[in-house]
Order: sequence, then C-alpha cells, then structure tokens
Amino acid sequence: MTDPAPGGSSAASRLAGAVAGVWARFREPVLARVDRLEQAALALLERRLDDDARRAAEREAHKLAGSVGTFGFGEGSRLAREAEQLLAGPGALGQAEALRLADLAVALRRELSAEPAGAAAASPEAASPPSPESPAVSGDPVAPPAEDGPGPVLLIADADREVTERLAMEAAGRGMRPVVAHTAADARAALAAARPDAALLDLSLGGEEDGLALLRALAEADPPVPAVVLTRRDAFLDRVEVARLGGRGFLRKPVPPARALDAVQPLLRTADQPPTVLAVDDDAAVLQAVRAVLGARGMRVRLLNDPRRFWEALEAVVPDVLLLDVQMPHVDGVELCRVVRNDPRWRTLPIVFLTAQVDSASVQRVFDAGADDFVAKPVLGPELAARIANRLERVQLQRRLAEADPLTGLANRRGSETALERLLALAARQGEPLAVAVLDLDGFKQVNDRCGHAGGDEVLVRVARLLQKRFRAEDVVARWGGEEFVVGMFGMEKVEGVQRLAESLEALREETFREPDGGPFHVTFSGGVAEFPADGRDLHALYRAADRAMYQAKEAGRDRVLPAGWNPERGEGPASVDVLVVEDDAALARLLQHALETRGYSVRWVDHGEEAVRLLGGALPELRARAVLLDVDLPGMDGHAVLRHLAQAGLTERTRVIMLTVRSHEAEVVRALETGAFDHVQKPFSVPVLLQRVRRALR
Amino acid sequence: MARKILLVDDEDDIREVAQLSLEMTAGWDVAVARSGPEALAMAAAERPDAILMDVMMPGMDGPTAVRRLREDPATADIPVVLLTAKTQAADRRRFDELGVAGVLGKPFDPMELAAQVAGALGWDA
Repeated sequence: MTDPAPGGSSAASRLAGAVAGVWARFREPVLARVDRLEQAALALLERRLDDDARRAAEREAHKLAGSVGTFGFGEGSRLAREAEQLLAGPGALGQAEALRLADLAVALRRELSAEPAGAAAASPEAASPPSPESPAVSGDPVAPPAEDGPGPVLLIADADREVTERLAMEAAGRGMRPVVAHTAADARAALAAARPDAALLDLSLGGEEDGLALLRALAEADPPVPAVVLTRRDAFLDRVEVARLGGRGFLRKPVPPARALDAVQPLLRTADQPPTVLAVDDDAAVLQAVRAVLGARGMRVRLLNDPRRFWEALEAVVPDVLLLDVQMPHVDGVELCRVVRNDPRWRTLPIVFLTAQVDSASVQRVFDAGADDFVAKPVLGPELAARIANRLERVQLQRRLAEADPLTGLANRRGSETALERLLALAARQGEPLAVAVLDLDGFKQVNDRCGHAGGDEVLVRVARLLQKRFRAEDVVARWGGEEFVVGMFGMEKVEGVQRLAESLEALREETFREPDGGPFHVTFSGGVAEFPADGRDLHALYRAADRAMYQAKEAGRDRVLPAGWNPERGEGPASVDVLVVEDDAALARLLQHALETRGYSVRWVDHGEEAVRLLGGALPELRARAVLLDVDLPGMDGHAVLRHLAQAGLTERTRVIMLTVRSHEAEVVRALETGAFDHVQKPFSVPVLLQRVRRALR
Repeated sequence: MARKILLVDDEDDIREVAQLSLEMTAGWDVAVARSGPEALAMAAAERPDAILMDVMMPGMDGPTAVRRLREDPATADIPVVLLTAKTQAADRRRFDELGVAGVLGKPFDPMELAAQVAGALGWDA
C-alpha cells in the first residue's frame, strides 16, 4: 500500500516525540474533562444530574474516548468509552451507575497521570537507545521511550475474518506483530513457521476437538506458547479443560479487541524481558545521559523529571532498579528513598543514588535512608552501567534464594506473595476472578512420628510435585510453611477452584507412601478456596477466608475441600473497620467510601466529629478503626478537636489519623502532627494519592 | 508534487497530532480548518486532493459539511474521509450513505493515520 514512514524509525521516533510534546501541552485541559466527568458522577450520586448535564458529560466522555488513545492511553479510551456508553444508555441512571461512573473517572485519571504506553501505544518492551533527534525531556513529564526492534509475535486464530482483522489491528497498534490463522491447520503451520510469543485462540476453530488439540499443541511447543482463549460458550467444564491444557485466560465473545489484547499483554512480560530502570531527576540532561548509557546496554529506561509524580510512575513502571537524584525541587530524594523502603512491596527494590555530594556525611545519610549504592555526578557511563548491572545481579540472586522453598523448590510465602499480588492486580484490572486455595496435609504430625522427619520431608516433596503437575505454570503454587500450601488460580471462580483442588486431592489419595518398615500409607489434605472479589479484595482477606474454610474442612472430617463462606460464622465483640471517614461533604465521603471499599477496605462514614469521638472513644467504644480520614473543617466539633479527643483517649497509638486539610497552613499541619495525627493530605486531593497514603497508614 | 490534504477538527490537540502525523509520516501538505464553515471556504480556495474531517463538531457537523461540499460544484469531486469516535454500526452506515471515501475510527494511532487515509483514498505512497 503506502510507506507511511519515509524516514524510517527515526521519523517514527520524531513523531513520537512530537506527539508527546502535544500531550504535554494538552494534558491539563484533558484532565479538566476528567474533572467534569467526576463532577457528573458526584451529581449523579446526589441525584442532581439533569438531562442537559448528562448530555454534556456524555460529550466529555465521547471526546476523551476519541482522543486519549491517540496519545498512547489505549486503556484510557476504553474507560472513557465505557463512561460514554453508560451516560448514553436509555432510561434513568441509579446509584450503581453513579458509582461505576465515579470508578471510571478515578481510573481514567490514574491512567492519564501515568506514562503513555510507548510511542502511540506501541511496543511496551521497547528498549530505548537514544536517537540524536530525540527531543529533550523538557515539559513532558515522562519521556516516551523511542520505538525500536521488532515487537513480539501474536498468533490470532479465529475463523471469523472480521474478528481477526480487528484483533490484528489492535495488536499492531500495540507494537505486536500479528500472525492470523482462520483454520486449525493454518494455526499449526503458523505455530511452526512464525514461532509466536503468545496466542489468541477461538476454541471453536474448526470444531471443538481441534480447538482443544491446538491448545495442547501450543502448550507442548518448545518453548510453550501462552494462550488466551476466546469462546462463545462459557460452560464451566470448558474453563477447567482449558486450564488443564495450559490456557492462560478465558474470554467470552464478543469481546472488544482492546480487552482481548489487555489479556494477552501480561503473557508477554516474561523473565527474558530486559530489566527496567526508573530514573528520577529534575535535570533533563542527566536523564538523557542515563538513558543513553543504560539504553545502549539493553536496559529499558523510564525517565521521570517531575518527582511529584513519583508514586504514579513507580506503580506504573514497576522498575527493577530505581535511580534517584538526591536534590530535587519539591521532593528530597533521600526522604523519597526512606518512604519507598517503608513500603513492603518495594522493600527489596534496589535503589541507587545520583549525587554531586560525596562527602562522608552525605553518603552516610543516603545509606541510612536505605539506598543500596550511589554514583557520583557528573555521571560516567561505564561506572553507572557497572553499578546498575551489579545491583540487578545481586537482586536476582537474592530473589531466587529468598523466594524459593529449599525443600520442595516451590515458591515460599514471600516469593508467592509477590506473584499472587500480581495475579490479583491483573484480576482486578480485567474483571476476572481469582481463586486462592489453602491446603494443609491431614495428620502430618503422625506421619513425622511414624516415618521420621526424612519421611515427612519426602511426603512434602511428593505433594509439591503433584501440585506442580496438576496446576498450570501460571498458577501460583507455593509452600507457606510446615505442611501448608497455597495455590492461586487466575480466571477461576471459587467453584472451579474447589473442583480443581478436589481433583488434586483425589490424585493424592491414589499415591502410595511407604513407612520405614515398608508398610503402605496414604496422605490426604483439607483445603479451603476463596475467590476474588467475592470473598475479599486483597491477598490477606482472601487468605483468611480460604484458611477459615480449610479449618472448617478439618472440623467437618478432613480430606475434603470447602469453599469460603461455607456455613459462615459470625464474629463477636466491637465492630471493627479499616477506615472511618469523618467528612461532612456527603458526596466526597461517598466517593471516598466507594474508592476504599473497591480496594477491599471496610469503611464506615460519619458526618460530624462528635459522632466519631463517641464511636471510637466513648466509655464503651462501639467501633475500632485502623485508620481515620478526618476532615479539618467540620461543623460543630472540628477536626483538630476530634484529634485531641482521640489523642487524650490514647487512641492515636493504634488508630492512624490522616487529616484532610483545606489550606496548606503549615502551622496547622504541624499542630495536628504534634497532637498525634499520622499524616495529612491537602484538599483538593486526587483519589489515587489519598489511597496511597491510606495504604501507608494501614501498614 | 506533494499531496495536499485539508484536515478539519475542532479539537486542538487531536488536530495538531493528526497534522503532525500526516506531515511527518506521509510528507503531505496539510491545511487545517477548525469548523465546518471554515472547511467549506478552505476547500473551495485551496482545492485540496482530499479532506479528512471529524464528524462531531459544534455548529455544522461533519456530515452536514460533506453535504454542502457535494452541493458546490467547486468542491463536489474532492474525496472526503471521515474521522469518528462513533462506534455504532448504524452511525457508520449513515456516513457511508454520504458517499465518503472512508470512515476512520478514533482514537487513531498517529503512526498509522496516513496509511489508513491513503488506503481509504486508494492512494499509493
């Protein structure tokens, strides 16, 4: 047809730079559209969104849907499209729609605050060698990585040409190289010829028999090709069968191409990916130098020159190494390092400082904050590269040692928690379920008594092997200690998880073990399965729910698997919540409550200070809260007075109070912190930022 | 001689990106208009080889502008490609009935836009 890029890839990277420049200039007005969408959600919550305002909001959503994808925010367009369709729908909108709209607006803001995906939604894994024409970082907060190298190959197998065409377009838009097959035979040929990195496959391709056979061929290829399955049918057995054959995801048709590709994308993030370095410095020249040095050595380099957007960038990039400048405007790098270190998820992230001050006091301060190393400015290429490589090697070694159980080779608790958190995030993003199972060997003490510890160890090893064999590579199978194992199953509902675990139990019953004197014996386990999001929205809650069900299984006679919520029990004592919101603005409080609950926190809301004090600090407290979001400007008893009451009652020790202040009166903030507040957040705040602070307070 | 295309969109950000995209990836000469009436005037004056026009614009929308272009002998033959964030099949059919050369979806990929426009117009590079 046409050669769209006469200048080759340098023209592409120039265009990417220019597009990023346009985005930098229009980011604010675009975010203002999101603001208006959020306002509409609040108005809807309060039932004061009239028809005109609803049409106006629909137009805002329409404009967002049609534009932000062009800047590399494909998911942003999808979210806006959903908001548009919600607003355009027939009939009146209720509370459920209002909350969904609020959620969409919050998610949209988070998307647009992150770094756009590559140049125009392209190649997520593009390494970034510097190009001489690449623009300075300048106004653009996170410079887009230049495009480079061929993208991963995606096999798209579906008999419907319209479907394959749309999927192929979407895939190409994301920097993948689609290979299309319309028959099972074509797909096999493509599998051999194109060596795809992942596959999207309609199970009914050329008859179901062939679809499943093709799936098996993908799983048995060397290396195995991870596949996401599309199907019009959603029979429960299909899912289990697909899982058994190594299918990584299960999408019901019709599915928008963007959603299908969202499901494929994580499969492409394999261990062979180049390491990612997030470099934070306010000096664009330094960032460019870092990119030049590390990019040339095959690392992916993400640059951030506005440290105020650090948390967003950290969460979006998930780097393998963090490179921090010591002195930046607005934020002290050393302080940032300390906060990162206090977050369990980032505790092991290697942090290397760039610093112009190398006197012993400054260096000591950097190490005290938890840094792993430092590099003196001006940055010298070979030294920087060597130090980063050093950090990466060390962390990979540590990770292998720290995350594996030496007896069984399964992931240990720590190692699996990271993997489970990742599955959980994926499940939340894709609206897929995730089953978490806890299983505990029955009568294991007797096994140890009869067979000695070596015999007990052998049982553990064989159970581990059996579990590994019966679950998919992408399921998380881990030994959490003693005779307890945990399994995470992505895309599985509770009933499916129970079924698969029960199948493993049946297989285990078939295995014969031998006592030292040769006598045969058998081993069973009791298991419990919880499901995201029905039984909990975070790992801790899911584990607790599954564990409770496991104990119920023990009590009911062992050797069985029960779903969470089976014959539920009720707790006693004072009610307890994660977060108490004390806020007189009902719309804001609702938005907060919803945002927190969506993320798995239990929440209670009161609209005046006296009530908060009575609930938490009365003679017979009715409520225990782990954190309190406390508005300063309350009618009647204001936030400071509430805080003083809580402090006098000795509650600020175990209940962490976050003050929501309106003005940045420093004296006021200092006063609150001295009184016992844990933290403060200035209004107006963005919901993601507040959530980040709540997460910190609840740690 | 470079092809000349008239780009019509009321959204400043999208118009800028589309312009950059067409200029940088295809090397076309791009004239821009911010509204339907402006597009009619420029189409008559500049005689572009084709027009790339947004559908949803305040005042005169894209389809109305296309009808006016068709009524004016000076512009009746200029092929038009529409750009729309509408996804409904019914909307698409309505646009096809206008006799446009093609309908492209928003959001577009800046790397691909020129190729898609060229494809719709049956242009070689």
